[in-house]
Amino acid sequence: MLEILNNYGLILLIGEYPHGPLGGLAMTLILAASALLLSFPLAILVGIARTAPLIAVARLAALYANTIRGLPLLLLVFWAYFAVPMLFGKSINATVVMLGALIVYESAYLGEIVRAGIVSLPRGQQEAARTLGMGYWTTLRKVILPQALYNMIPSMMNQFVVVVKNTSLAYVIGVDELTNAAYQVNSQLLTKPFEVYALLAMTYFVVCFLLSRSVEAVERRITRNRRSRPS
Amino acid sequence: MLEFVHIQKSYGAMPVLSDISERVEAGEVVVVCGPSGSGKSTLIRTVNRLESIDSGQIIVNGQDVHAAGQDINGLRAGIGFVFQQFNLFPHCSALENVMMAPMSVYGVTRAEAREQALELLARVGLEHKSPCFPAELSGGQQQRVAIARTLAMKPPLILFDEPTSALDPEMVGEVLSVMKDLARQGMTMVCVTHEMGFAREVADKVWFLDAGRVLERATPEAFFTTPQHPRAQKFLSDTQR
Repeated sequence: MLEILNNYGLILLIGEYPHGPLGGLAMTLILAASALLLSFPLAILVGIARTAPLIAVARLAALYANTIRGLPLLLLVFWAYFAVPMLFGKSINATVVMLGALIVYESAYLGEIVRAGIVSLPRGQQEAARTLGMGYWTTLRKVILPQALYNMIPSMMNQFVVVVKNTSLAYVIGVDELTNAAYQVNSQLLTKPFEVYALLAMTYFVVCFLLSRSVEAVERRITRNRRSRPS
Repeated sequence: MLEFVHIQKSYGAMPVLSDISERVEAGEVVVVCGPSGSGKSTLIRTVNRLESIDSGQIIVNGQDVHAAGQDINGLRAGIGFVFQQFNLFPHCSALENVMMAPMSVYGVTRAEAREQALELLARVGLEHKSPCFPAELSGGQQQRVAIARTLAMKPPLILFDEPTSALDPEMVGEVLSVMKDLARQGMTMVCVTHEMGFAREVADKVWFLDAGRVLERATPEAFFTTPQHPRAQKFLSDTQR
């Protein structure tokens, strides 16, 4: 296994970069981070829409969230991959397609987290803001969201762990990321699938484990902050 | 200042407010009392539309609160409301709690809002607590900050929804004394409260509610010494036991 790492470690880490496209773990992390960053603002909108007083808006958002959550991500990836050339008449970079699919998918899940954060605040918070004459949006911006998002930090970070693992599906449409790199290494070696995929598994595990640990650290900190508040 | 005109409200078949028609004049302090479930809180929550009504009119300063198309935010800014559970914003310091609404509703500058907030916190005896977060304050202190927050909007009318019911007994006094100061300074107040001492001392009128009806409206002396309605007599003898 060490030998594989010696010979192919760099490919697993950054793909063929700088002589070719960036790939490997670096691409996996870039995909995960950009998916999360780009879906975050959308998720806030979804969460707001889910709790909107306008029933039509709330229903539409619920339809979106429930549909997406009822589909496997792989299906979204396939659809995006095959539908985009049909719609636009030309194919789009697979990495961009994957990013798009991840954003659509994560916005639904993160949106539910945002909704939970909004709904779990005491009703009195909104009432207090509204009785002071603050409007719906001002109340959201100054009173509801700051509290809801803060409370939801652990859940959102957990979702980041999930996204990291979900990026592995990019392999099926040929994006150069970690799983794809491992696949290529395996097909060059031919005789060591167990070792190669064990290496792949360990890499995912280490990344996700470190992320989970940092989630726990943040969680402890939030719990500590809350404990200092007699309610 | 405030007028209820034939207010009706029910939850399904259960009437909550039945044909309430009352007036509060500017500068008056009205104490609303009655057994729990009698509709007291619901009644004052209809005044700024935290609760809807089925029919009738509520007129505040000549404006029909429940009229369609009413600028509800503008109206609410002019109607103070103090909650039983304080409902301070826990992510903001005491000072920021008081500064927030004037800045975002009236567009007051940060410097002005800050100056006003410090004045108001001093008025409720909490200037030294201005950097503290609600979690670091006692219940009585939180409620006083909440009163300062309401005063920051300069409302001509303040509604109190059992402001001392969630407090430990030793903290009731500090909140009541702030309320008494307000009453003496001529603030129009409608207070749902079980503090009969407060009612005797500062109320101009007492309304006794039961089952969604105002059964008795009287001066505090008349109400506490010679209640007319049998339901009020029973309520008073039960609470003074």
